[in-house]
Amino acid sequence: MSTRLKVTDLVKTYGDNEVLKGINLEVQNNEVVVIIGPSGSGKSTLLRTLNKLEAPTSGSIVIDGYDIADPKTDINKVRENIGMVFQHFNLFNNMTVGENIMLAPTELKKSDKTAAEKQAKQLLATVGLEEKFDARVQSLSGGQEQRVAIARALAMNPDIMLFDEPTSALDPEMVGDVLEVMKTLAKQGMTMVVVTHEMGFAKEVADRVIFVDDGNIQEQGTPEEIFDHPKHPRLQDFLNKVLNV
Amino acid sequence: MKRKMWAVLTTLAVFFACLVTFNLSATPAKAETTYTIGTDVTFPPFEFANKQNKYVGIDMDLIRAIAKNQRFKVKIKPVGFNAAVQSVQSGQLDGVIAGMSITKEREATFDFSKPYFTSGVVMAVAKNSKITKLSQLKGKKVAVKTGTSGADYANSIKNKYGFKVVTFDDSNNMYEDVMTGNSAACFEDSPVMRYGIKQGTKLKIVTKPAENGSYGFAVEKGHNQKLLKSFNKGLANLKANGQYKKITEKYLGKDASKDTDSTSDNSFFGLIKQNKSALWSGFKETLWLTVVSIIFATIFGVLVGLMGVFPNKFLNGLSTTLIYIFRGLPLLVLALFIYTGIPSLTGQKIPAFVAGIITLMFNEGAYIAAFVKGGINAVDTGQMEAARSLGLPFGRAMRKVILPQGIRIMVPSFINQFIITLKDTSILSIIGILELTQTGKIIIARNLQGFKVWTIIAIIYLVVITLLTWLSNWVQKRSKL
Ligand SMILES: Nc1ncnc2c1ncn2[C@@H]1O[C@H](COP(=O)(O)OP(=O)(O)O)[C@@H](O)[C@H]1O
Ligand SMILES: [Mg+2]
Repeated sequence: MSTRLKVTDLVKTYGDNEVLKGINLEVQNNEVVVIIGPSGSGKSTLLRTLNKLEAPTSGSIVIDGYDIADPKTDINKVRENIGMVFQHFNLFNNMTVGENIMLAPTELKKSDKTAAEKQAKQLLATVGLEEKFDARVQSLSGGQEQRVAIARALAMNPDIMLFDEPTSALDPEMVGDVLEVMKTLAKQGMTMVVVTHEMGFAKEVADRVIFVDDGNIQEQGTPEEIFDHPKHPRLQDFLNKVLNV
Repeated sequence: MKRKMWAVLTTLAVFFACLVTFNLSATPAKAETTYTIGTDVTFPPFEFANKQNKYVGIDMDLIRAIAKNQRFKVKIKPVGFNAAVQSVQSGQLDGVIAGMSITKEREATFDFSKPYFTSGVVMAVAKNSKITKLSQLKGKKVAVKTGTSGADYANSIKNKYGFKVVTFDDSNNMYEDVMTGNSAACFEDSPVMRYGIKQGTKLKIVTKPAENGSYGFAVEKGHNQKLLKSFNKGLANLKANGQYKKITEKYLGKDASKDTDSTSDNSFFGLIKQNKSALWSGFKETLWLTVVSIIFATIFGVLVGLMGVFPNKFLNGLSTTLIYIFRGLPLLVLALFIYTGIPSLTGQKIPAFVAGIITLMFNEGAYIAAFVKGGINAVDTGQMEAARSLGLPFGRAMRKVILPQGIRIMVPSFINQFIITLKDTSILSIIGILELTQTGKIIIARNLQGFKVWTIIAIIYLVVITLLTWLSNWVQKRSKL
């Protein structure tokens, strides 16, 4: 196993508000890391600093040998290798499903139009939406949108995938389809960092679960350690709340 | 032998004589300078456009006759009294002849010629008015035209007689105000008033000329002294040879012929027919101004708008500042600043049309920048984040994802702005651009048919705006935006 991602002493502040207070984290190749924690604890912020959608205030983030806090690093090149899936899908509203997926490969000269089209159709097939290639984004359901968003994030053949609460905005009956796609990805050996409240998914798929609260990693371990033998009182408290709804 | 000598000498003499004559007539022609002279849009009988749209009147005939007499060329710029005066101060124009009274105040900034006309201020009232004396004006309104000696006179006595002064920018509006009864009286130089009444203005003069003053031709103080000398010399020549008398009598003498306009067809269609070519060229100028300035304003506005959303603090600040300044300045002030202010700072003349385009580019462009910025900001930030997370650089993400969505939001604002631009071109009449509004002013100066002519002009604007709206709706539908 080799290290894909290494975060050291990561601090992020917005004005006076210190959101991340010195995070240390390593993610190995093929590892699936699930981040849990109460809302407002800094999970999204942590995830978004990993591909520099938020610039870190201090600390270092090294991905595949590139220090992304270093201004000399070509962040666009690094991002090509990190797929990101958002809570609100963020499909491009001015394009069809196919165009959404083909945009990055064609714009960034990874492949020509025909190759990109072939690849897009393949990706749509893996997320179970092959017939939606020409569909308008507006005609999709939330679950379909999120699966297209995953296909789009995969189009640049990334080594790492980041998921920020990918099912939180979905109607309950759609959640299963999206989680299914993510499980398949995990089985194929994709390195994944997933922020989610789906504890079932975490138990089944995660190699490691990280509990973030108040800008710090309070506890981490295997799913059994975290869910069956939580040590930190805050984690116990948190699990009580989410598991007994 | 002797005879032969004579023949040779005569030939030589003739030859030299020819050479000299040729030189005499050729040299001055070559050296003929062209002076640009500003004048008022409408100040009959001193300056006004006749039916052929040529500027005539005492001032016009005089300056042309003097130019001919003194062998220089003149280019007349009927930019309006205030603009002409300011343009001479700023060096945009070489001189001004616009029934301008010689005053101590003005002599501080201008060098005046010898007086070429003596005038005095009279009071005129509506035909059916009972007012005959200044003392009857108590508590009433009095109309004057800006910068005239009539205005100075009114202001100097308004406290004594207890009336209120209302100021207008041209004579027709001032007369109109008295005829409609808004103002009780107006003060105007006697030749102007007399001529106006002869043209059918329904007013009567009720006082003797007061505050006699002299009109002079003016240049910027300390500049164009050669022109001033030529004017004085030419004026003296014309007075001596009787031409001066002929010119003034043509407009003021007992047998001053009525302008044929007053007997011509003053119905709507008559007015349109008579002024067809003037209206058409004013209309074309308005369209041309609109189209060119929309193009420049769009370029300027889109650039400044994009600067406002670019991830760079300095550019953001610059964008905000530019929008703040050019949206904050009244269009009229901006136009006068660019046309007369900039040349007095740089010493570089700017043609009125160019100044007009620059004015509209900045003003309309600032509005465009504001809604370009707003349109882009209205696109969900998640769209930009998704594009950037795929590795697309900022510019590419902007072009492929954000702008296409932002433009859809901006289209109605663009159409609105085009219509506003068309309307705003009318303000450029202040710097003398012969567009539709200025054309209207000039036609009215001649025929004093303010209501009908403004109706015609208003209809033309409405028709163009309607067509423009239809066109843009059609384009909008066609492009499925
Ligand atoms: N762009 C921002 N500007 C200011 N504060 C922010 C910003 N983004 C997040 N925060 C703050 O950071 C804290 C953590 O937010 P977030 O990482 O979204 O939490 P979580 O994803 O765990 O719910 C919150 O208090 C939030 O208000
Ligand atoms: Mg979050």
